Amino acid sequence: MSNNRVSRRQFLGYTLTGVGGFMAAGMLMPMVRFAVDPILQQHDAGDYVLTDQAAADITEEPVRVDFTFEQVDAWYTSEVTNSAWVYKEGDKLIALSPVCKHLGCTVNWGGDPEQPTQFFCPCHAGRYEKNGQNIPGTPPLGPLDEYDVQEQDGFVAIGQVKPNTLV
Amino acid sequence: MHFNSKDIDLYASQKDYVDTAVVPLIELDLTVSGMKASAGASEYLQSLTVILEKQFKGRILLLPPISYVRAADRTELGEQLKKELSETGFKHIFYLTTDPKWRSVEELDNVLWLPAIPTGDMDQSFKKSVMEDQLRQVLPLFTKEWTHHS
Repeated sequence: MSNNRVSRRQFLGYTLTGVGGFMAAGMLMPMVRFAVDPILQQHDAGDYVLTDQAAADITEEPVRVDFTFEQVDAWYTSEVTNSAWVYKEGDKLIALSPVCKHLGCTVNWGGDPEQPTQFFCPCHAGRYEKNGQNIPGTPPLGPLDEYDVQEQDGFVAIGQVKPNTLV
Repeated sequence: MHFNSKDIDLYASQKDYVDTAVVPLIELDLTVSGMKASAGASEYLQSLTVILEKQFKGRILLLPPISYVRAADRTELGEQLKKELSETGFKHIFYLTTDPKWRSVEELDNVLWLPAIPTGDMDQSFKKSVMEDQLRQVLPLFTKEWTHHS
């Protein structure tokens, strides 16, 4: 037997401290986890919306690719479907916004039979080159916006809209 | 453009370009047996006008749907609408409806009557393709009107 005998008072003290410590830890751990959670969130792929368009099928001819995301408008959450005109320039994917820079109509590739290699806005006959450059003399005042775009697992993923960088 | 204060500000400054009004006409049938069909028709027409607005945002002003009861006098309503809209600057006015009774009303020009498709029970992607098919039927009517009278 060792010499330093544990008295009843000490034994109870140790036991209570131990159990109390566990309980305190049990309460504090989730709180700490919640507090640091925003820092641990991953943001890499979250800003891109995956579409069902295979990237391998994209050619130099722009095709319409639809993508759906949730939009919160005050208390009303709705699914919004937007589209982009996607084509390949060499090996690089390019996605253009279909929103006309004049008054916001939707433009179509080859919508004007006389200009099959341009984007055409049916509202006021605005026209754009393939890279989004607006054609002088038509109503639009600037080039079409561009989307961030990347390939994810063989499919096209569309990100944030940005001013045209090709023109 | 939608009928909200933000779009109306833009409309006021771009009146020359926004020369077309779209008026959805919706019949309210509140009988027990007719309510579901009426609601489905209303849902269909509103989805269609929303995607139409998206396509032609810069040239059309989409008015809120005009709803009326079954017993409403279409002729009188038509006259009132026509009078109100004639005082605006719109060159083209389209009325979209699923109510067959408008087909015999002579007062209004450009009434596009569409058979209601019950889209309520379809899943999202199928509904979307159906609505786009419908939109493709309607678009040429607009572009034709614009090219003829511009």
